[in-house]
Amino acid sequence: MKYFSLLAVDPAESPHWLFPEPAEIIYGGIASVLVIGALVKFALPQFKKALTARTERIQKELDASANDLALAQADASKIRTALGDIASEKARLLADAQAQADALLKEGRARLTAEVADLEAKADADIAAAAARGSDELRTEIGRLAGVATDRALASVLDDAAQQQLIENFIAKVGASR
Amino acid sequence: MSDARIDGYARALFEIAAAEGTLDEVEDELFRFARSFESNDQLRNTLTDELIPADKRQAVVESLLGGKATATTTQLVGMVVGSGRGRDLPAIIDKLVQRASSAKQLEVAEVRSAVALSADQQARLKAALTNATGKQLNVKVIVDPSVLGGLVATVGDTVIDGSVRTRLDNVKSRL
Repeated sequence: MKYFSLLAVDPAESPHWLFPEPAEIIYGGIASVLVIGALVKFALPQFKKALTARTERIQKELDASANDLALAQADASKIRTALGDIASEKARLLADAQAQADALLKEGRARLTAEVADLEAKADADIAAAAARGSDELRTEIGRLAGVATDRALASVLDDAAQQQLIENFIAKVGASR
Repeated sequence: MSDARIDGYARALFEIAAAEGTLDEVEDELFRFARSFESNDQLRNTLTDELIPADKRQAVVESLLGGKATATTTQLVGMVVGSGRGRDLPAIIDKLVQRASSAKQLEVAEVRSAVALSADQQARLKAALTNATGKQLNVKVIVDPSVLGGLVATVGDTVIDGSVRTRLDNVKSRL
């Protein structure tokens, strides 16, 4: 009840407790218009400007993020490419190493074969030289023994008469030589 | 040893032998001893061994030559060996022989024979070599069994070889 009585308008009372005086409404309206106008005139551009700046900042951040994303994707692509390169390089190195090992093995086998052949040839030559040397030594020894035997045989044949005859022959030959 | 020192020793030996009046005999004995010294390794090693005391080496010379050669020859060889010049003994003696031959206007003729030559053979050989070379000779005969038979005469650079050894070597080389 009391609440309803509050809404009741007492024409005797002025101003109404809820509605202002008309003048107040006018002054208030003008003031509101001025305030709103001032707001529109001064605050709204600032607000729009701040909003635009925020939008631009956000856009920049979005662009930077997009750019970072693109860079990251490019890096990821490069890494994937590099990984592929590494794998292919690894395969190439392994292939090279295998090829070098094969070449070394082949060369080593060839060298060993050649060395074995050389050693065999040298051994054959040494054996032949030793055989020849042995043959030469034997021939020399036979010659030496034959010489000793000849000397002894001659010494037994060359008796005093033969010695004297040889001396006389020498004297006669030298004496007649001039 | 230097030539000057060898010459000095040879001159000293020559003067001593000449002073003693036995030059020809001493020269001949020394020459034969030098050839034995050259051909006998044991004798050469003994007389040149510095580890053997000088008096021991001289005693060896005395035992070898004593009574077989003149006292002068024995003393001269003993002196050279005792002074540690044994290694140069042949060179010293050869110089002495050259000096003695030069003093007599003679040239040395070295004759190697398997057997000893008689005095008559030596005289005829000397005459034959003198006739062949046209030089007056001082003939030195060395008994060398390695010759086997015949003679090898060397006068200066001339060698007259009539030895069985050389003929045998020629036959061997031809074979």
